[in-house]
Amino acid sequence: MEFAIKKFQDKMTYRLDFFMGIVNTAITILVYLCIYKALYGNAGEVDGISYSMVATHFVITLGLSNAFHYNEMFLQDKIRDGSITNEFLKPVSFTLRLFAENAGEGAFKIIFHFLPALLITLLYTKLCPPVSILGLPVMFCSVALGYLILWLISFIIQTWSFWLFSVWGIITIKNVFVSILSGSLLPLWFMPEPLQKILSFTPFESIYFTPVRIYLGELSGRELLFALAVQVLWIALLGVIASVFWKKGVKKLVVQGG
Amino acid sequence: MNELRIALQSLKMSVKTRMQYRADSLVAALAVFIRESANIIVIYLALLKFDSINGWNVNEMLFLFSLLFLTYALVVSLFADLRDFSRMIREGRFDWLLVRPRGLLFQLILNNADIIASVGHGTLGILLFLISAGKVGIRWDFATILYYVGAIVGGVLLQGGMFIFFSSLSFYFVETNSLREIFYWNMRKFAGYPISIYHKLIQGLIIYVVPFAFVNYFPAQYLLRKPDMAGFNEAYIYIAPFVGGIVYLAAYLFWRISVKRYYSTGN
Repeated sequence: MEFAIKKFQDKMTYRLDFFMGIVNTAITILVYLCIYKALYGNAGEVDGISYSMVATHFVITLGLSNAFHYNEMFLQDKIRDGSITNEFLKPVSFTLRLFAENAGEGAFKIIFHFLPALLITLLYTKLCPPVSILGLPVMFCSVALGYLILWLISFIIQTWSFWLFSVWGIITIKNVFVSILSGSLLPLWFMPEPLQKILSFTPFESIYFTPVRIYLGELSGRELLFALAVQVLWIALLGVIASVFWKKGVKKLVVQGG
Repeated sequence: MNELRIALQSLKMSVKTRMQYRADSLVAALAVFIRESANIIVIYLALLKFDSINGWNVNEMLFLFSLLFLTYALVVSLFADLRDFSRMIREGRFDWLLVRPRGLLFQLILNNADIIASVGHGTLGILLFLISAGKVGIRWDFATILYYVGAIVGGVLLQGGMFIFFSSLSFYFVETNSLREIFYWNMRKFAGYPISIYHKLIQGLIIYVVPFAFVNYFPAQYLLRKPDMAGFNEAYIYIAPFVGGIVYLAAYLFWRISVKRYYSTGN
């Protein structure tokens, strides 16, 4: 938690970046809403999905995906220059610290980039209100779970830098997959049927789509519980894989160090 | 001719440097290719559902995108150093060039080529062109081919000019990256779509401030003649290939003025 707060304060010091971040987010939202509007043309609804639902989906997903974006080369850099060994001497778990720092950065971006940009957006577009006040806390839980899933996927690939010379390429490719398959560019509603079916067996659906659907009230009762359970299941599975890679990687490092 | 020899030598060096780590470079080029394809895949999937975007169908959209990628592939192989110029100044590498017996811009343009980005963008651009060019109803005769080549050259000069302009700003401000992030990279993202779908304000930005519209939208309009051109001045599609040269010249003059400043503060 301390680390998260520290990172948060760190970010506050760059005022210009902060201002530009807001402008950037607001412009991106404006432009994509134009694109969706043009796609909709005169149609009120497509497949039962209205334009304002798509707009809401896009704005929430953009906010989250900005927040979920952090320096994924951190572990590789630490391994390359050898400073990772110092980390093991510290009395806190490296993975927990890494997670806390990333999460702190994410919280910063949500509060200071996304919320102001959201207010600007609300000046010129109508978005769907949350389906109920009770839905919001559930959605926040789901967002947190989604973040964990994404973080774990990224962490697994980062641990590969114990073996590979550079993971930059793989991380870039991974990010493309995530941004397309999680629906952050085109909502999963509009994907071809077969692709949707396949995606329901992957963790991608659980990252942004589940929280957004909860917000829009598309999930309720049993479906809602099921969606949350799926998220938890993915976290458990990815968590196991991540810890296996991490332990193997650390062991390899120690052996190499002699 | 001496200049040309240096140019070729320099390009060879860039390629050789990258080939030191062959596998790594290939993965990186592939990563660039895939990253850039993301937008294409999304627009493709979206148009499976929605048919058209403001009257533009899938192939026409791909054609519009192809101009952006083809020109950028050439831009990064020529202007890579100017793209990363603010870092160059900060690390003091710019000072090396000052003592060499060749023009500064000449050196900057030749010094470094981002082969990886060039291959990634170029492959995608060629691929999109091959897929779409035959299906969008363009009659490829002498006039259209001449126009097309002119548009590509213009688009390269235009983006190169913008890099030179932003680089020149580095002589006045320490940090220019966020400015460029907003004006260059954002606009480039938006220019992939028919600009007629945007708010008037953004259209103004893309036509007059960061004139990406002349890189792909107006040239594509000359060849495709979509009805949404009605919202713009018809003359734009005829001047499109020449705008690049003008922007480049203006940027060059601005560079000349700005570089003088660096001499004076440097000493």
